[in-house]
Amino acid sequence: MRTHPLVREKGTVVNPLDKLPEEMDELVNSFSSTPVVGDLNVGVTQYSFWMCVAIIVLLAVIFTFKKKQAEDGVVPKGRFVNGVEFLVEYCRDDLCKALLGDTWRKHFPFIATMFFFILCNNIVGVIPGCKPGTGCIGTTAALALVSFVYFIVVGMKSKGVIGYIKSLAPAGVAFPMNALVWVIEVFSTFLRLVTLAVRLFCNLFAGHVVLGTFAILASLFFEPLLQGVSAAALGQAGASVFWVAILMVIYAVELLVAAIQAYVFTLLSAVYIQLAEADEH
Amino acid sequence: MGVIGYGLGVIGAALGIGLAAYGATTSMARQPEVQGRLFTVFILASAFVEALALIGFVVTLIA
Repeated sequence: MRTHPLVREKGTVVNPLDKLPEEMDELVNSFSSTPVVGDLNVGVTQYSFWMCVAIIVLLAVIFTFKKKQAEDGVVPKGRFVNGVEFLVEYCRDDLCKALLGDTWRKHFPFIATMFFFILCNNIVGVIPGCKPGTGCIGTTAALALVSFVYFIVVGMKSKGVIGYIKSLAPAGVAFPMNALVWVIEVFSTFLRLVTLAVRLFCNLFAGHVVLGTFAILASLFFEPLLQGVSAAALGQAGASVFWVAILMVIYAVELLVAAIQAYVFTLLSAVYIQLAEADEH
Repeated sequence: MGVIGYGLGVIGAALGIGLAAYGATTSMARQPEVQGRLFTVFILASAFVEALALIGFVVTLIA
């Protein structure tokens, strides 16, 4: 373990990096689901609690938007109404119309619900002190399962049950290869379920671990100054300012990731729906 | 050990994100008018690649 040169001369101040491993363990442990009410079988964990908060925030935004829109009339005024309208239109034009074509109207409610739910959860999670509802594998697995069942049902509705199962393998392949391709396609279809869930979970989890690590580093390096003013302590406090600067940059990146991951999840759901509906491969 | 494993896993993701950025910049230089749409595609591709690196990161922390 590397020791700080200034610390060694003084001999009284310990190296702040020594404490890092146990703090990291504590941080990672704090991300596992712990029940707030009840126990792990029946109860509310901190993730489901923050998910409920996100849902309430989302509902509040929607109802305020509707009220303001009704007041404004045809032309929207103000940043809030215009912002929400921009998001809805983005979701409609870039996600639904661009990918799904003629049937976009049928799938727009589902896709918009997914998008706004995940976006709201991610944004609430980035606020310091809050946890993202989507930062837990249970939530993301449930979301992925909903999307999975949705696109399979859409496929079965448009082609029939047998037709959809058959259509997994591309037409025009000779018999023995046909079966093999079908098996691979079925496997990759189930893999979509796993990748959808794991991608969202890992992005949120890793992002929050990195944020937490830099916050811990900043506090560890600032601690010596609180115990007594010395040259070494002042030097470490200077390093702490540097960690806080990095923390700010990562915070901005996390805001970006929150939006991008909501977009990616919804976009992939739309792509899968489109693939299930398409007549020919 | 876990840190070394994470470093090995990130090699692929680093190559992938580099290739994506390379492709995006060359096509933007050739056809600046597609910049807007290309940026979306680039972000999307980076998100896919980044997910792989992040899976490595999370597995390192958990396992």
